[in-house]
Amino acid sequence: MSAQPAAPAASEQPVPYRATKLPDVKLLMWVFLASDTMFFGSLIGTYLAYKDRSLVGPLPVDVFDIPLTTVSTFVLLMSSFLMVLSLHAIRQNDIPKFRLWTAGVAFFGSIFLGFQVYEFVHFVNAGLSIHQNLFGTTFFILTGTHGVHVTVGVIWLVALIMDSYLRPLGAKDSVYVEIAGLYWHFVDIVWIVIFTVVYLVEFV
Amino acid sequence: MANQKHSSVATYIIVALILGVITYIEFAIVEYPQEWLGRNWTLFWLVALSVVKFIMVIMFFMHLKDDDRTYTGFFSSGMFISMATFVALTAMFILPRSVASTRPDNVVAGAASHEVPQDVLDLVETSGLSRSPAAQADSPRPADRSVQITPPLAGNDASSYEVTVPGGAPAQASGEAGASGDATAAAAAGSDQTPNEEQASEQAAGGTTAEAPAATAASWDAEAGASVYTANCVACHQGNGQGIPGAFPPLADHATAVYEAGGREFLMDVVLFGMQGQIQVNGMAYNGLMPAWGHLSDADVANVLNHIVTAWDGPPAGFAPYQADEVAAQRGLGLSAAEVHAMRADLGL
Ligand code: HEC
Repeated sequence: MSAQPAAPAASEQPVPYRATKLPDVKLLMWVFLASDTMFFGSLIGTYLAYKDRSLVGPLPVDVFDIPLTTVSTFVLLMSSFLMVLSLHAIRQNDIPKFRLWTAGVAFFGSIFLGFQVYEFVHFVNAGLSIHQNLFGTTFFILTGTHGVHVTVGVIWLVALIMDSYLRPLGAKDSVYVEIAGLYWHFVDIVWIVIFTVVYLVEFV
Repeated sequence: MANQKHSSVATYIIVALILGVITYIEFAIVEYPQEWLGRNWTLFWLVALSVVKFIMVIMFFMHLKDDDRTYTGFFSSGMFISMATFVALTAMFILPRSVASTRPDNVVAGAASHEVPQDVLDLVETSGLSRSPAAQADSPRPADRSVQITPPLAGNDASSYEVTVPGGAPAQASGEAGASGDATAAAAAGSDQTPNEEQASEQAAGGTTAEAPAATAASWDAEAGASVYTANCVACHQGNGQGIPGAFPPLADHATAVYEAGGREFLMDVVLFGMQGQIQVNGMAYNGLMPAWGHLSDADVANVLNHIVTAWDGPPAGFAPYQADEVAAQRGLGLSAAEVHAMRADLGL
């Protein structure tokens, strides 16, 4: 960067020595997501490796509530839908709609988190703490890590909305909304896998 | 810049609808089981549906469908590595289970096979609880630390822990087990002796047991049995074999009786395949899950059975020790925990 005078909007001024011609932030986000799949891959693998090996209860069948989890899964999916609407709005320079949809995503994300907190409290009351058995340990670490991802996403989205009040956002900034969206959708697909592999298969 | 031909809002709505419907179908499959589909096909469809959702979100919401291929490349390499990790991890944990039974039997009888944590050693040391004479007969104790602790271990553990069994009430471990009889008395007797005197007196007192393999016509490896028991069973049935009332049935005052009631095969089945269902032991009801120990070697299973049948109540009349090949043959039955429970009822226990 030292040879170049300050270039604020990288995407508008192509830098000659860049190989990919792609927005750095977006490429970086995809690389991060690729690494995050390995993270979640190991956690889900660990959960499965220890599945059915708990010596004492409560076991998954004792505590899981499929209707409840289905609703929270649905909420997260719909938040992903709002996320694409938000990206669409900012590409159209439609800031009020952008704020509305982004707030919607953050709101749905918080509902999902609320379900998770409810679920965790319910499990702990049923005797399933993180050190109760292998199920407790692997389950809380996996879904807890996912919950942390959702929390980070909600904070990020709120920050984007606040940003839109602090400076004039527009189509030129859409890549920042896009990477937040990529992150959000990723968190959603991780949950798609968890919902099936952890929750549903237990009742087959 | 990549081609910015992005899906229209109409496409988004359709995708969202499909995602919602698929989620409902998944829910319905689990909530209203379709018997005709069978377990494997049900699993197949659940996985297939979630893969469809996964791909739709990536393609349409994350725009990989129309975006630059570089992104797809990066993401798929990550996915590939994580799938490989996933498969390796799962395989690592599944394989040992199936090769465990082919492990050479003599490996586990080795002196250092089961290390006992330092704090347990200290506890035993300070409380003067007895080591099994059999364990001392042939294993030297250089630093006094390499010894295996073998039952009876009274009062098991200073820290009390709570055990919850499915459908059962939590039980306090320490109080119950600590209260139980004779081993505690032995502890009092030995408490002020130095380790060496202790050893000497124990050997004198327990001489008969130490010589047991030689003295009995049909012999078994008491030491190996005790160490398998210590490593696998004490958590529930306790070192003194008293179990935890209401949660884990006692084996002392009981296993020998089960054997004498015609339970020779039943005992092998319980250990190999586990047991689940309500049972009655010495007037108390238990309804827990006895885990299956099929991953132990045949010799280990034989040894631990010989241990539980002889350690507390002496060998039953005309006892023929369990042998590894007998256990190997029993393994072939492949019973379920519920079937073992049914066998128990047949014995009239
Ligand atoms: C996780 C706790 C746990 C461990 C560890 C455990 N058991 Fe059990 N065991 C139980 C429970 C609970 C039952 C009663 C099952 C029931 O209610 O149907 C039981 C029952 C038994 C019985 C049958 C008693 C009867 O009256 O039918 C035997 C024999 C037995 N266990 C031996 C062993 C041996 C040997 C080991 C070690 C290899 C072992 N157990 C390890 C929990 C355990």
